[in-house]
Amino acid sequence: MRDLRSLGQPLLLASGALALTSYALLYASPYELRVLTVAGVYALAVTGFQIVFGLAGALSLAHGAFFGLGAYATGILGSRYGLGFAATFPLSLLLPLVVALLVGLPVLRLESHYFALATLGVAQVVLLLAVNLPDLTGGANGLPGVPGVVLFGWAVPRGLPLAALVWGMVAFGGLLAWRVARGRLGRALVLVRDDPLAAAALGLDVGRLRLAAFALSAVFAGAAGALSVHTQRVVSPEVLEFPVMVSVLTMAVVGGRGRVAGAILGALLLIHLPEWFRALERSYLIVYGVALLAAVIAAPQGLTGLLDRLLPPRDRAPPRPVPPAEPARSGPGPALVVRGLAKSFGGVRAVDGVSFALEPGAITGLIGPNGSGKTTVINLLSGLERPDAGTVELFGTETAGWRPDRIARAGLARTFQSGALPDGATVLEAVAAARLAEDPGLVPAEAHALWALERLGAGGLAGRLCGDLPAALRRRVELARALARRPGLLLLDEPAAGLTDAEKADLAGHLRAAAAEGTAVLVVEHDMGFLLPLAGRVLCLDQGRLLYEGPPEGVRRDPAVVAAYLGEGTA
Amino acid sequence: MIILQLLVNGVALGAAYALVALGFVLVLNATSAVNFAQGDLVMAGGLLAVAAAPLLPLPGVLLLPVVMALMAGLGVLLALAAYMPLRRRPPVSVFISTIAVGIILQNGASVLFGPEPRAAPPLFSGGSLSLGGLVVAEQSLAIIAVAGLLIAAQGWLFARTQLGRRLRATAQDPEMARACGVPVTAMILATFALGTAYAGVAGLLLANQFFVAPTAGGDLILKAYIAVTIGGWGSVPGAVAGALVIALFEVGVSSVLSYPVALGALYVTLLLILVARPQGLFGEAARRRA
Repeated sequence: MRDLRSLGQPLLLASGALALTSYALLYASPYELRVLTVAGVYALAVTGFQIVFGLAGALSLAHGAFFGLGAYATGILGSRYGLGFAATFPLSLLLPLVVALLVGLPVLRLESHYFALATLGVAQVVLLLAVNLPDLTGGANGLPGVPGVVLFGWAVPRGLPLAALVWGMVAFGGLLAWRVARGRLGRALVLVRDDPLAAAALGLDVGRLRLAAFALSAVFAGAAGALSVHTQRVVSPEVLEFPVMVSVLTMAVVGGRGRVAGAILGALLLIHLPEWFRALERSYLIVYGVALLAAVIAAPQGLTGLLDRLLPPRDRAPPRPVPPAEPARSGPGPALVVRGLAKSFGGVRAVDGVSFALEPGAITGLIGPNGSGKTTVINLLSGLERPDAGTVELFGTETAGWRPDRIARAGLARTFQSGALPDGATVLEAVAAARLAEDPGLVPAEAHALWALERLGAGGLAGRLCGDLPAALRRRVELARALARRPGLLLLDEPAAGLTDAEKADLAGHLRAAAAEGTAVLVVEHDMGFLLPLAGRVLCLDQGRLLYEGPPEGVRRDPAVVAAYLGEGTA
Repeated sequence: MIILQLLVNGVALGAAYALVALGFVLVLNATSAVNFAQGDLVMAGGLLAVAAAPLLPLPGVLLLPVVMALMAGLGVLLALAAYMPLRRRPPVSVFISTIAVGIILQNGASVLFGPEPRAAPPLFSGGSLSLGGLVVAEQSLAIIAVAGLLIAAQGWLFARTQLGRRLRATAQDPEMARACGVPVTAMILATFALGTAYAGVAGLLLANQFFVAPTAGGDLILKAYIAVTIGGWGSVPGAVAGALVIALFEVGVSSVLSYPVALGALYVTLLLILVARPQGLFGEAARRRA
């Protein structure tokens, strides 16, 4: 029964495609074919929007502008300069791509709502230019007489051939986007969307990934814009106005965020909606608004999300565990050498001239009262904060001031005090995310992730959702995530918090095993009963300064440490 | 002389923008939600005044309380439809839901009123005054007076009254406010009502000299956004100051060049600000305590 149901979705999609084809071939009137063609144009634009908005989570309001840029490139080159499809189409993809790369570099660094604002600003500037440069764009009236599509000397007539051409492009673009979504890039983008800090800590270049998604989406929008002009045969500022953007956003949300099938379903549904409700006439956009509101509130996963609930997708066969290759680290010598590290926050010296070294294969404890700068030290070493002064040498390379993803790729792994697993992902997906920066594809990444899970005795969790796990198991999965990259240096921020004694003993065993393989381990911890037997050496921080450095036995007897913990007066 | 005249025009425009930005930033502080419909609410207030004018043959200044009351009701509806169901979801959900409300307002207005721009009645007579050789539109001075009064009223409400203390407590920390017995949901609805009423007044004020069309919301939300960005994300006096700055910029540049150039320059300036200061001019980068 389960097998039959799991086949449901591909079957349903295949029969939907078949029904659409037979409708187009057998029943559709010329007018209906035209509507279908427009739906295809939008399906292509929304497919691109799914990459930047659905997968990368960036609400780009410039997508309509990229659509319009593609449209104007085709319109101007075709109508003013008489260039053919073979020249105008690639240029219509190139222009939005170039603009996306130029604008994206600065704009993509912005936080969510600033990003939306900035992209809306870009869209308004493009619209202003189109209306106010009549010599180039025809101004408010636009340009008539755009030639149709000519393929290898054959002028594609309107009606069925044009519809087939547009939907052929939808199929090609859809397949491409589906492969992106299902592959390494798609997974990485989702991680960047859900938790950019964790993504960077796992070695993913957040900025480059976002730019790739933005640029790719612009190419899709440009293609759709070009095809829309070939369908309309005129280009006017309408293609740049907000309704295009609104339609694309509505289709993506109603169809299902991040899903190619959602893009196509959303476009088909919302383009046909006004046709089915003829009485609405020009007010169809009100229906869009209501549909968008209803979808956001009642079905945030959209139509494809509802479909998933009715016909759950098939579970993929689990991979076989494969140990990842041990990365080569340069020669002997300490894993990490820190000299004079300092960081202030608005006049407060959180870290004040700290120096120490960590040896491969050794476990070092970092202790200190609350607010003594322990987490700041970890953030400085892993690149989440930039040090004001001091040097950090990781396996002989100076890494102070590097971005976190670069430091991670140089061999450092860390966990977060607050935990950083995405609730909606399976354990295997969450751990495989740690391998995305290293492995060429998802299959090896998941095989390596399973190896890391099995090493910690957590292989059985692979299919569970991270959000369903109790705290102790979450911690274990986080450790697997850190170890899956086979780091040369592992930084742990309070790994034993909230664990039972048995779980702590288990964790200590795993950390000793990692150290035995040559990993240098730095553990920030308050739990002395856990830390002191585990660590070969202990560093104690107070007010950003190193008070004590030495064997764990000495720490309880050191007068400075005791004073720091119990207050100055007792010293 | 011409400079002084431009200054009066700029301050009047800025006073109206300040009301838009003020409503936006109050809702932002109370809910940490970006209300993308704010520009369309301004448009709705303007058209409401256009529609009410023939029914109530009163000068604009008496239409003001009518528009404010109706818009406050619309604000509560907006909160109930587009914010309350989504308060536990990621912020982008509210962003999209208010975009949806904006679409409904804009196209609803276009169906009811048609796409062409309309003018609302002036606050008083609509004539102009001559002050020592300086000829100023009476409407400009009236806008400055009304907006100044409303901005001062908001300051008084928040600083001096029990309701204001509760509104501020809600904006600062809703969980803590609830624990202290503040009716947080009611305060959020009140904030939406106030913010929307101010948007409506801005619509009434702007729709006399600058007309109002159903599509006007897009530019207005951008200006509110820019004002809040310039003034420091979440700062109430900053939003008012930011609104004045962009209005003076707009009036100044369009007097020398043209309005499209002024608008384009404003957006490009905004992009440059964002590029140079990704967290806004005075904003703090939000850091996660790892």
